[in-house]
Amino acid sequence: MSNTSGHSGCPEYDRSLASRRSFLKGLGVIAAGGVVSTMQGTVFRQTAFAATGHANSILVVLSQRGGADGMSLVVPYGDPGYAAARPTIAIPPSQLLETDGMFGLHPSFAPLSPLWRSGEMAAVQAVGTPAPNRSHFSAMAEVEEAHPGSAERVGWLNRMVAMSEPACSHAAVQVGASVPETEIYGPQPTFAAIDIEKVQVHGPVNAMQERIAALDVTWGQVGGALGAGARLGVRTAANWKAVLQTSQKPRNNATYPATDLGDTLAESARLIRADVGAEVITVDHGSWDMHTNLGTLDSGGMRYMANELALSVAAFFTDLGALASRVTVVTISEFGRRVAENGSAGLDHGYGNAMFVLGAGVRGGTVYGRWPGLKPADLVDGDLRVTTDYRSVLWEIAKTRFPAVSLSKLFPNFSPEQVGVMRGA
Amino acid sequence: MPPSDGSMISRRSALLATAATAATTTTAWPSSAAAATALTGPLTGPVLRLDDYQVPSAHQNALPDPKTRHLLSRFSAAVTPARIADVKAAGGPDAWFRQQLSPGNIPDHAADDLWSWFPALDLTPLQRWRRHEAGAATGWEMMQDLASWVMLRRLTTNRQVHEMMVDFWSNLLHVASPSAEVWVWRVEYEQMIRGHALGRFDDLLQQAIRHPSLGLYLDNVESTAEGINENLGRELLECHTVGVEVGYTEKDVVNSARILTGFHVDIRNTWKASYVPADHWVGYVKVLGFSAPNADPDGRAVLTRYLSYLAHHPATAKRLCRRLAVRFVSDTPSANLVDSLARVYLNSDTHIVPVLRALVASKEFQAAAMRKVRTPVEDAVATWAAVRVDVKRPNGAQDAANQLIDIGKAIGQVVYDWPAPNGFPDVAAAWSGAGRMLGSMRAHWSAATGSWPIQGISFPTPLDWTPVLPTTFDKVVDYVVRRLLFVECTPVMLRAACVATGIRPKEMIHKTHALIEFKFPRLLVSLLDTPEHLTR
Repeated sequence: MSNTSGHSGCPEYDRSLASRRSFLKGLGVIAAGGVVSTMQGTVFRQTAFAATGHANSILVVLSQRGGADGMSLVVPYGDPGYAAARPTIAIPPSQLLETDGMFGLHPSFAPLSPLWRSGEMAAVQAVGTPAPNRSHFSAMAEVEEAHPGSAERVGWLNRMVAMSEPACSHAAVQVGASVPETEIYGPQPTFAAIDIEKVQVHGPVNAMQERIAALDVTWGQVGGALGAGARLGVRTAANWKAVLQTSQKPRNNATYPATDLGDTLAESARLIRADVGAEVITVDHGSWDMHTNLGTLDSGGMRYMANELALSVAAFFTDLGALASRVTVVTISEFGRRVAENGSAGLDHGYGNAMFVLGAGVRGGTVYGRWPGLKPADLVDGDLRVTTDYRSVLWEIAKTRFPAVSLSKLFPNFSPEQVGVMRGA
Repeated sequence: MPPSDGSMISRRSALLATAATAATTTTAWPSSAAAATALTGPLTGPVLRLDDYQVPSAHQNALPDPKTRHLLSRFSAAVTPARIADVKAAGGPDAWFRQQLSPGNIPDHAADDLWSWFPALDLTPLQRWRRHEAGAATGWEMMQDLASWVMLRRLTTNRQVHEMMVDFWSNLLHVASPSAEVWVWRVEYEQMIRGHALGRFDDLLQQAIRHPSLGLYLDNVESTAEGINENLGRELLECHTVGVEVGYTEKDVVNSARILTGFHVDIRNTWKASYVPADHWVGYVKVLGFSAPNADPDGRAVLTRYLSYLAHHPATAKRLCRRLAVRFVSDTPSANLVDSLARVYLNSDTHIVPVLRALVASKEFQAAAMRKVRTPVEDAVATWAAVRVDVKRPNGAQDAANQLIDIGKAIGQVVYDWPAPNGFPDVAAAWSGAGRMLGSMRAHWSAATGSWPIQGISFPTPLDWTPVLPTTFDKVVDYVVRRLLFVECTPVMLRAACVATGIRPKEMIHKTHALIEFKFPRLLVSLLDTPEHLTR
């Protein structure tokens, strides 16, 4: 995190800051997000910029914070264990979308049906970590570091960004009023701001030059995270105009829901339109932690969250239009929920889960993965067994969309299984 | 809405800043001097060498001794002249700290008055709910009152150590606010923590885990023998006591939740909290080294023993003491310090006061001055304290008393508003992002200019800050630094002040000088945007 020299660790980078292109080259990870509020949920977005000013492939990682119930989203209605374990909250098969005899999508996913049918959206069932971890915080850290056994806290996206240009360190940037998420955490300095519009230095209108110069006197030689953050802030603000000059207005008549996730994906599409080299964007959406009132199709948390997710993601792809041919979206959550509902018509922390992959390179319209079954003997402590390591899904995306990345460095000591969710994997 | 009080950086100034950071050498000063040449080039007056930024000898207003400054910056929201005087009156830092550990003996009228500034605080949960239902004020607004009140208390109270410990416990036993219907009982939860903040952790834990606010937040009020909800049972182990490293099993989690069954809240009705023995899970329970037949439908006696077991668990002692050391010593406290504090904690039957005494007496604490980065909320409060604002009783949403939380939010944090049960992070890496720094620069500029907020607040004038005029600029800067940051002025500070204002060190400052007429905020902000202000 800290950089005691007061510089990026890359002299070339430091000297080249004057140009916007190379500035963005140095900005490893950028993020933006909605209002942080526990009442309305929390969304963060983080973005990484490519080594060049233009990214051919863009990855959007949408984290469903709190542990989403994959079985409510990709419903295994063909397994009798599903309805039996959930007397209150099981979704009637007749209501499901895109059914294939075994699985069907949550009815709130209707806005995503066109993507499913056109083969641009797929799901993988029974995915997760190699061993159960039902703690939110350590499971999140594990999923986002994707490096079991390592004591270093470096996120997989941090490693991915670093591989774009091995000789230089990249700066991690986050807009969204909070702390760096584990997946981008690493040796780079980090950026966090309320929103894209606030990325500027405030000061006397007629003496900004002096204000910036004084900041440089104060912070130019300060070591540690604080000094790196101050210098990066001033530099970022100075070079932010390209993003600010890109219209906030969605294209193609896309209509986002007026929610944190809708706002955040709209801003993500804006960053992609600005074509400043955004390569990795991470979006946090939560909370999916539904111990109580997970609900039915008429009310409750699942209906609300699934609806917000579907409307926002569908609007995002509409907004992107032709740019969508470069953008792959993957969802990920720290763990699934228990198979059986609890006493509050909710679900406690579980294990196996579902992931979605959408957009560029996806072999869609299908549910992938090996279904382990819901008979008592099939379960792990009452939870869905994991038959596909979540890293195998990420591996296929990285392999097919980011060929320059060394997969063995991205996911150390890991041998993936074939999932088949990406074309050419 | 905060006014837009600045402009975007020009491309030219960005290039200037870049030129300065591009210089790479191993020694600080020569490269800085090179940077200064590049930076001061376009400014008025001749370019000065670093040697020209000698700071004049000390002024009459003596600084607090380093021990006092360190203790106050760690165990109060900010160093202030009043607090320095309190330390002196108490007979020194050690005596002041002892006094602070018995807060009931410290008069605190100004802070007590703040309660009446926010009438929603004084309502009962049911009254609050009715107010919300009637549309008079939303739960959200009433919880903003709670956050405003807490920030103003930190700014105002004479019982600073108590206030800092309220913050510490609130983060350990986190109940997000605002959050769903948790808010109905959230003020009572706050008051409960205040009552135990300098007491035994065993007592605090007993009250917190039974509290309807935490019960609503982590779903325990929904958990019954018929249908266990594991949420609180798990977080009690992971977040509140032993921690995940101790290695409890899924069975432990279920049994933990079983012990907790029986508590209810009459949600959306009377909001009364109750215990219903018929809903308590009866039967043998075992969690880690604790076990009980648990045969009585009233499980509260078992719960008391279970929580007491957890409060006295060596893993809890270690985890709690590590968090205390991270809060008050450094981001990376030594294992020796943590272990020795844990021993004190266990030997004192979970009393926190002996632990705090041992922490402050440790060499590691004494050697850790300015090693903690201020969180956004701490920065917002410390900035107002530093510029010596006078905040008035609020009449509306735009008044300063209601705006302080928005300043914290603009930097990146709102009191109690963290979306997960693990509480806010408390290390520099979390709070040193570039955007946070931009947020701090904005908040500091607003405070230096008095431009946000403007209602219900007053700021000192430039002449309140300056020594007897006329005198030279370097002497003015030195004088202001001592009264703003309570440290000696460094050459870097003086040079930053010169660059920010375009005034040379030996320039004479009269009462009609541009510095006094309109440039004073530029000086103040250059001194607030410093590591000395952003650390504690």
